[in-house]
Amino acid sequence: MVTFLIRRLAAMVPTLLLVLTISFFLIHLIPGDPAAVMLGPHATGEQVEALRHAMGLDQPVFVQFLKYINDVFHGDLGQSIFFHKPVSQVLLQRAETSVLLALCSMVVVLLIGIPTGILAAIRAGTWLDQFFLTVAILGASIPTFWLGLLLMLAFAVKLQLLPSSGFPSIFETGNITNLRYLILPSITLGFANSALLARMTRSNLLEILKEDYINAARAKGLAERVVILKHALRNAAIPVVTVMSFTFAGLLSGTVVTENVFALSGIGRLVVESVLRRDYPTIQGIMVVVSFLYLAINLITDIAYGILDPRIKYA
Amino acid sequence: MKHTLYKFARNRKTTAVAMTFLALIALIAIIAPFIVPYDPQRVHPADRLHPPDVTHWFGTDHFGRDVFSRVLLGARLSLLTGLSVAAISVLLGVFAGSISAYFIKIGFVLMRIIDALMAFPEIILALALMAITGRAGLGNVIIALGVVYAPRMARTAYGLSLRIKEFTYIEAARALGAGHARILIRHLVPNLIAPVVVQGTFTCALAILGAAALDFLGVGVPPYVPSWGSMVNEGRLYITRAPWIMIFPGLFIVLLVLALNILGDTLRDALDPRLRKLL
Repeated sequence: MVTFLIRRLAAMVPTLLLVLTISFFLIHLIPGDPAAVMLGPHATGEQVEALRHAMGLDQPVFVQFLKYINDVFHGDLGQSIFFHKPVSQVLLQRAETSVLLALCSMVVVLLIGIPTGILAAIRAGTWLDQFFLTVAILGASIPTFWLGLLLMLAFAVKLQLLPSSGFPSIFETGNITNLRYLILPSITLGFANSALLARMTRSNLLEILKEDYINAARAKGLAERVVILKHALRNAAIPVVTVMSFTFAGLLSGTVVTENVFALSGIGRLVVESVLRRDYPTIQGIMVVVSFLYLAINLITDIAYGILDPRIKYA
Repeated sequence: MKHTLYKFARNRKTTAVAMTFLALIALIAIIAPFIVPYDPQRVHPADRLHPPDVTHWFGTDHFGRDVFSRVLLGARLSLLTGLSVAAISVLLGVFAGSISAYFIKIGFVLMRIIDALMAFPEIILALALMAITGRAGLGNVIIALGVVYAPRMARTAYGLSLRIKEFTYIEAARALGAGHARILIRHLVPNLIAPVVVQGTFTCALAILGAAALDFLGVGVPPYVPSWGSMVNEGRLYITRAPWIMIFPGLFIVLLVLALNILGDTLRDALDPRLRKLL
């Protein structure tokens, strides 16, 4: 297990470096002088020169690159042009909303994906199976922003059951009931991402229900519930774990749109704001953090395989 | 494949409906400027926020512009974006994927780069690329989404090529003395086409959703261009008073993407089972 971990981490190094290289060169791909672009048309020559110097843009590219890598590994993601604060600080302030939104959405994905997957597999070929399949294709075809607006229209505007937008920080107010602000956003984001999990649960369970040991379990007179939940589901879990890592990546991406629909000031909204403000260091910082997170999730998935299936040997 | 497609379309009513809808949208995209009942840019303050009725089928927006006319013109933009991004991804993906599978050393390097590109969530990478290009515009949207989806296509093409490479007919070609170029162009790539086209259908659907999201976020095409995404964005401000402004363009996105996804599913079912698993 330890050797596996070391090897797996070592394999991540080139990808990490490439991710950093891509993020680094982002700023150098801007046509013209990045400092001038960021400061806008009204900046004076001295201001541009000062920013160039502050960002180290007046040094050779290779020196800049080494400095950038070094900084990132020390947790320094640069200075935000708009906030005049370190990017890492800006991200930390926005993290609560995004992390909570992603987690709540994951709960929605699990609540929708796994039960519908199981039901569809048990009732394979019936109208119920067909119905879930249709809903799944529909779920993959609805733009999240539109679904979010429709839910907002129905549950916040017409029925007035839930708040339509915003999210007062739980961290600052200490009020856990603020989570209700995340109900509509989580359903929006969760629904769109649950189709894959449902489909995967269904097809894996169907494969496994054909296995001999399931027949054996049934033959010895176990209740169908026990056969499905205990014998089949656990064995169907591995590919499902893979899908969940995909899903989590989808949620990371989906927060961008969802946060914008529901006016949640998380990291997703920050990306769009930063693009409109030309705050390149912030965009760079978000790219680095989110992709590192994605790679970390992949790593955790690989480790989870071993826990779920003792037959997998990390040799 | 044409024959199988015809057979499937006849057998599956949903596919037939989906394909009819796609044909209709394609037709609308071509002839929209000639059939729109109103000038989509015409601002008519007296008619603003007019609910759907006989004169304005989909109602009017906050400038009094006819939503139906704008939705029809939006079809052109969506389809153009989706098809262009799918074409770019297929071309780049097949090229990078087949070369990487065939020449293992090149593949090792290329696939690491692709892994790194895929570590960025789609929309964040697209947004970052839009930020670099610095200007809202259709060309930039297509390039940004192409860069996002081509690596995903390359991954698929790579997986498929690795598998096709092991098939006996490649070995036979090599035994007959065929060179690398000949094997790649005459034997490997032609067998990639069918599965890649299937994947291309899904890419087209994803690209339409992606472009709509960029437009919705205000970083896609400029706001005066009637695109479904930016129409939903404009309509959200009037969600209580005039929900039709955002409902109709959104509905068309759903229908178009749904039709493409159904078509993709049907094509996948018609595919060689040995390759289907890899999609």
